[in-house]
Amino acid sequence: MQLTIQNIIPVPLKDKLLQRNADVWNKAIQFKQGEYVKIKAPSGTGKTTFVHIIYKLRNDFEGDVLWDNKSLSSITANALAILRQQSLSIIFQDLRLFPNLTARENIELNRVLQQPLYESNVIDTMADQLGIASILDQQASLCSYGEQQRIAIVRSLMQPFNWLIMDEPFSHLDKNNIDKATALIEAECKKRNAGFILTDLEDDEHFNYTKLLNL
Amino acid sequence: MLDQLLKKLIRTGAGRSRNTMALAGLFIAMFLILAAVQVQSNYQQILYSRTSQDSIADFLVINKIITNNNVGEATLSAGEITDLKQQPFVEKIGTLTPSRFRVGVQSISKQIPFYTDFFFESVPDEFLDVNTPDWQWNATSTFIPMIIPNMFLDMYNFGYAQSQHLPQLSQELIKSLPVQIDIQTPAGIVNYYGKVVGFSDRISSVLVPQPFMDWANKKFGTGLNIQPSRVIIQTSDASGSDLMAYLSKHNLSTNTEKTRFEKYRSIINAVVATSWVTGGLMLLFALLIFTLFIQLTIASAKEEIALLITLGAAPKQLQNFLRKQFLPGNIRIVVITLIIVSVLQLVVQKTLAAQKIFVQGYPSHYTIAAAIIMLALLTVVNIRAIKKYIGETA
Repeated sequence: MQLTIQNIIPVPLKDKLLQRNADVWNKAIQFKQGEYVKIKAPSGTGKTTFVHIIYKLRNDFEGDVLWDNKSLSSITANALAILRQQSLSIIFQDLRLFPNLTARENIELNRVLQQPLYESNVIDTMADQLGIASILDQQASLCSYGEQQRIAIVRSLMQPFNWLIMDEPFSHLDKNNIDKATALIEAECKKRNAGFILTDLEDDEHFNYTKLLNL
Repeated sequence: MLDQLLKKLIRTGAGRSRNTMALAGLFIAMFLILAAVQVQSNYQQILYSRTSQDSIADFLVINKIITNNNVGEATLSAGEITDLKQQPFVEKIGTLTPSRFRVGVQSISKQIPFYTDFFFESVPDEFLDVNTPDWQWNATSTFIPMIIPNMFLDMYNFGYAQSQHLPQLSQELIKSLPVQIDIQTPAGIVNYYGKVVGFSDRISSVLVPQPFMDWANKKFGTGLNIQPSRVIIQTSDASGSDLMAYLSKHNLSTNTEKTRFEKYRSIINAVVATSWVTGGLMLLFALLIFTLFIQLTIASAKEEIALLITLGAAPKQLQNFLRKQFLPGNIRIVVITLIIVSVLQLVVQKTLAAQKIFVQGYPSHYTIAAAIIMLALLTVVNIRAIKKYIGETA
């Protein structure tokens, strides 16, 4: 599955962004399946906006986003749900866990939203790898932000996908935990022959990126 | 598994008391409507079933009401008869043909001597409630068979005979007494023998066979009074309000005893109509409360639903989940109501059977059909509400 963006630019930030020389805004770019894409940008320049646009959480932009040459602008609610269940997985910057569910239930939900890819014991295996096995049955709202971030990572890996979209996924993890998480993410992407788009503030060497862009 | 998680996120228990109220309202509405349908169907059954129908209720003799204005000319015109024939409540119509000659009857027995001026009428045989092989006449017959009203004999036996110290007469005795019939013709009096062969509860007139009447009117008739003044109808519904309305509109009258059901029926109709209206209004309110309840449930889980959609839950999945939360309650209510109506119907059947009124001991097809229709209506309203509010939230 390939992602094509055609001259997208968010309407609220239009004037500000057109003054900058960016690699992504107002450009036509293709991302091929399996690419490891890193998008770097300082705070306030629209990383999260970009992620939300390609995941169709916001519509206030000019240009077009196409997944496999199908435009997001005319997609139906049910087709969008299928896209999100089968092809796109996401780790939000603000994590977006259900505070009233336990860590395990949050992960389980994303496992059973579609025909499950993994058995439920995979949750324990992955949680163990990221060091959150002990808090799996704790209510998500009571977990620390670092724990919640790892819950969100495991949740995103529970479903099938061609593209994993990550918005500053390691912001609250230490070096040790980042290494564990990147190893897990890379292994899961390889299993699916999938690529990812990762946004962050700074340069890093977490993955062997195939494409580096300044937003 | 997904449903269990959704249950934690979309709490239908948020307005449990409201839900209970909505279900209670729905139950009452459902009960009133189904009971109305069942009562109506029972009443139809009592009215039209052969087992409990009064045989004389089928036939009505109809005539003009005699007022000071139409004395002497209270006859029915051909147009009026045709119009009556076309009414939906009339199955068959026959005219009572009057004799157009003068008749006298005298006894040929010395023991019971009498003479009286008399009259004859005739109706087609199919309207008679007397079935006897003696009811035949042709030109070679030795006597003219007659049918007289039972009421005549009763008047004689219990009124006239007792006050005049005359012997009471049985039906058999009267049938065995031949009488002499004197028909006045322009050429003088012609004599025939006549015999009573039966007694009618249906038609209060002295009847002779239609062939004799036709023959005699032709032979002796004076051409007077050609229009019939009475007709007899066979009706499917002697107590129908259509019939009563038609009669009073056209200034017609019939034996009111046979139409006595009309009064009861209008009361039952009023009760049933009230039940319908109340049930209908309650159903409307129950549907409204349900819709609001669904709206409330969805609104109170607005954030959860939005996040579920963000994570990839399809609106269809959420609709399915909500349907599974709401519809079983509706089905339970309809089934429970139907069971209660069935039990009551059994009680009604037992009670009425003791009074020789027969209705079936299980709910009518109409009641079951009504229950199914109401369930379908509820389902449609619920599904639409779920679809609408999920769509708005998503």
